Amino acid sequence: MRRLLPLLLSTAFRLALWCLLTSDLSRLNLLIGLVVALLLPRARSRPLPVRLLLKAAGRALLAIPQAYLEALRLIVAPGVVELETSEPATDRALPLLVFLDVFRITLTPFTIVLGLEDGGRRYRIHSLLPAAAPEASEP
Amino acid sequence: MRGSFSDHASLLLLGAGLILWFWGTWPLLGKHSYLRKLHALSVADTLGSSLMLLGLLLRIPGQWPLLTLALVGLIVWNTIFGYVLAACSLPAHPSRRTGQEHTP
Repeated sequence: MRRLLPLLLSTAFRLALWCLLTSDLSRLNLLIGLVVALLLPRARSRPLPVRLLLKAAGRALLAIPQAYLEALRLIVAPGVVELETSEPATDRALPLLVFLDVFRITLTPFTIVLGLEDGGRRYRIHSLLPAAAPEASEP
Repeated sequence: MRGSFSDHASLLLLGAGLILWFWGTWPLLGKHSYLRKLHALSVADTLGSSLMLLGLLLRIPGQWPLLTLALVGLIVWNTIFGYVLAACSLPAHPSRRTGQEHTP
């Protein structure tokens, strides 16, 4: 299961894109989509731990409402402060997990990922936080 | 009644998206730091545009496959493009070079 998961996921994603693009669910079209999805080149992938994947996906989904809240807080903030932080990364050899992490961090307006540091073990993060004191505001 | 409700909701979503767009793109003309502009742009681009897509979805539900595709494209493209833009802002420094050690 863990070995097959990357293949299943990428094929399902490609097939879904094909169906959305053609908006046609006839058997012939599904067959063509499946052939295209399987024929397109794919990166060599390692077995994907299901639990880690579900956790990362759940956190990415939770980031969506949080992102709107943070956007509102930034909009009403009198000023902002910039600082750099870092956060431990999940295994960088699993591109899907790295993508989900980068999506979660970059989507929220307070934080963006600048890159990996410490040999790929941590994300380097730039954050922009609403300032507490009003005197930090700029003209 | 139902039609007018979805019309109003869609107007509200489109308007909210437009506000986020302007709030996020206006600082691009200013003198703030590059990364601060990138933060604002993520508000405009991802959050504002997805509100607008939801508004359009209420307005023209018949086109949902293409609108969903646009939403997926927005998510994938913005994440990768934002990461690339942010990484480009960094000078090459030694701690990143050590990350490239791969044993073949």
